[in-house]
Amino acid sequence: MEDFWWNVLDTAQSILDGLMFGSIYALIGIGFTLIFGVMHKINLAYAAASIGGAYASLVVYVHLDAPALLVFLSAALASGLIGFLVYLCCFRFIPTERPLATLMSSVGMLIFIDEVVVHVTAGFPEPYPAIFDDVMLVIGPFWIRGDLLLIFGLSIVAMLVLLYVLYRTQLGIATRAVAQQPVAAQLCGISRETTNGLTFVISGMLGGLAGAMIGASVGVLSPLLALPLTVKGLIVTVIGGLGSIPGAIVAGLLVGAFENVFQFFRGVTERDMYVMLLLFFFLVVRPQGIFGRVSTRD
Amino acid sequence: MRHGILKPDIQLGGDIMHRVMTALGVTALALSMATVAAAEDRTVKIAGFGAKSGVVRSFGINTEAVMQAAAEQINANGGVKLADGSVGMIEVTFDDDRCNAEEGISVIRRIASTDAIVGVGPTCSNVAEPLFGILQGSVDDAGDSGLQFPIFTDTAIKGGLAKISDWAFRNVPNESEMYRSLFEWLQSEHPDAKTVYGGVEEDFAHSRFTWYNVMKPRSDEAGYEVKGESKWLLNDTNFTTQVREMRRAEADIIAISAHPFTTCGVLKEMARQRVKPMILVGLTSSSSLETLNGCAEQAEGIIIPTSFAPVTDAAQAAADAAAAKGGSADLHSAAAWEIMMTLKDVIENAGVMAKPDTVEADRRAIRDGLAALNEAEGLLGKIQRTDEGEAIKPYVFVFADEGAWKVLHDPGS
Repeated sequence: MEDFWWNVLDTAQSILDGLMFGSIYALIGIGFTLIFGVMHKINLAYAAASIGGAYASLVVYVHLDAPALLVFLSAALASGLIGFLVYLCCFRFIPTERPLATLMSSVGMLIFIDEVVVHVTAGFPEPYPAIFDDVMLVIGPFWIRGDLLLIFGLSIVAMLVLLYVLYRTQLGIATRAVAQQPVAAQLCGISRETTNGLTFVISGMLGGLAGAMIGASVGVLSPLLALPLTVKGLIVTVIGGLGSIPGAIVAGLLVGAFENVFQFFRGVTERDMYVMLLLFFFLVVRPQGIFGRVSTRD
Repeated sequence: MRHGILKPDIQLGGDIMHRVMTALGVTALALSMATVAAAEDRTVKIAGFGAKSGVVRSFGINTEAVMQAAAEQINANGGVKLADGSVGMIEVTFDDDRCNAEEGISVIRRIASTDAIVGVGPTCSNVAEPLFGILQGSVDDAGDSGLQFPIFTDTAIKGGLAKISDWAFRNVPNESEMYRSLFEWLQSEHPDAKTVYGGVEEDFAHSRFTWYNVMKPRSDEAGYEVKGESKWLLNDTNFTTQVREMRRAEADIIAISAHPFTTCGVLKEMARQRVKPMILVGLTSSSSLETLNGCAEQAEGIIIPTSFAPVTDAAQAAADAAAAKGGSADLHSAAAWEIMMTLKDVIENAGVMAKPDTVEADRRAIRDGLAALNEAEGLLGKIQRTDEGEAIKPYVFVFADEGAWKVLHDPGS
């Protein structure tokens, strides 16, 4: 009986931890979905650019001894810049009628960014600052990490800011217009290239924040992080519904909780299998994702 | 008249003599210069290879720096004496195998097609295992068309790999022996510690092998109760569940068999969840700068057995030379220094000629020389060589103290 209650408590704790980490997946998923929503293209270099931005922010941390919040902001800015460069290199000048070309160019960029990071750091894990990393809130039988709670909060704020930008600003209207009717948007005087570029910058900034949050949650940055984050980001995007921001948020939290629960029940070696099964389940039962719309001829 | 006749003859003879002497002198000079030139041209090519890209890039950088530093020292001290009495200078090349088995095999085939007479590498066990498999299994086996090229490994540490081929040799520490000694020593120093709990990076060959085949059985043999293990993957970022398991196990000793990135992640999570075991034991490969760079504060007190620490004059000199070349001497790269010095001795004693037409014979001579070695000089003392091409190296126990690795105990003392 005692074992049963331990299991119940551990399951609840696993869900709680997973939701906290899931907020980072949600940020990555939003970046993927934002670009897909606007350009109908997958940017596979997105997570690598996010980790690249986090690495770039180490310059501020190491040389200026900047506080953690400033480091996180620097990561967002650096990743926004990298995002724009990715746009220029992999999307801007490649004909839109060749989706495979942009996909492959972004794969190349993923590897390129990863190798640049490895060459600059020699693959050494780099310590990354965190806030409240030594704080542990103990609520009854549950332990909640202070830094993860902050990360969760920051992620929610970032998502709210993004939703505000998309639905309450000129830039957001332009972005949505290009996403929905690119030709009509251009006829209305909205520059498609500028909007696309800005979308990469905005999603890059979100990614940079996600990269910084990952670094803060582990306390260490490693180039190893780019590939698993890319995979998680894509899973979140598909489950949430391609192009759906609320979907990416919900799917991020769902995937975070799901993988933690299965890690608890089935162990780390089977964990990712179940996450993949979740993906297959959605692809078969609800291919448009949680919030995606069913595609029709029109 | 005769005299007069003779005089020109004598004059002529003197002229001839002068010319002959001059010619001889020029010839001698030319010959001596040619000898010098030949000696200068005689290079002993040693091909290093290992990971210089990807997340294990630092291993390749360090090994290359150490090999270059060792070669520089050998050359500065007069090079290596070859079988015909001439002197050869060591030339080191280094190729990147990206810690990838296919790439490693391709690299070694390329190296074998050059006039390199021995290879030093690779970094990763997952490269070493298949790579040793393409070498000739048994020397002189006419039915085995495997590559006949001697390889001396500095880093790939997974147990028992050299027995795959008679052409494979290793200078890696014997983890089984080191952890046996460590757990026995801990038993005598901390008799109140009774239980061990493990943490293992499940998807990395070395970490996994070391926990299941080394740490776990050796701690069991030392009389500890092994209460289980928590598992994670090489690129995991969330260790809350695993550390919760550790907390619940309430073990006296926690042994972490993982590389620096996840070791640091776990140590930080342990600090958050206030998991404070009596003794913390780490993986050999984590006794590096990477761990201190990533989490010096949380790693404070962790005990790791290692075959390198700058505790002797020779070890300190090797560490300084490596640093001057932009690398760092640790338990892996320092092995490359020992390999270079061992190879110098083998080359000088095995009849190596280092000529373009003796490449195959030189490779065989080096293989035979290495196979015949029973003992070699190491940075911490004598290294015993086994019949299977493995090394039994001296080692010490180090612990993290105020951001540095310090020697806790020397079992050999």
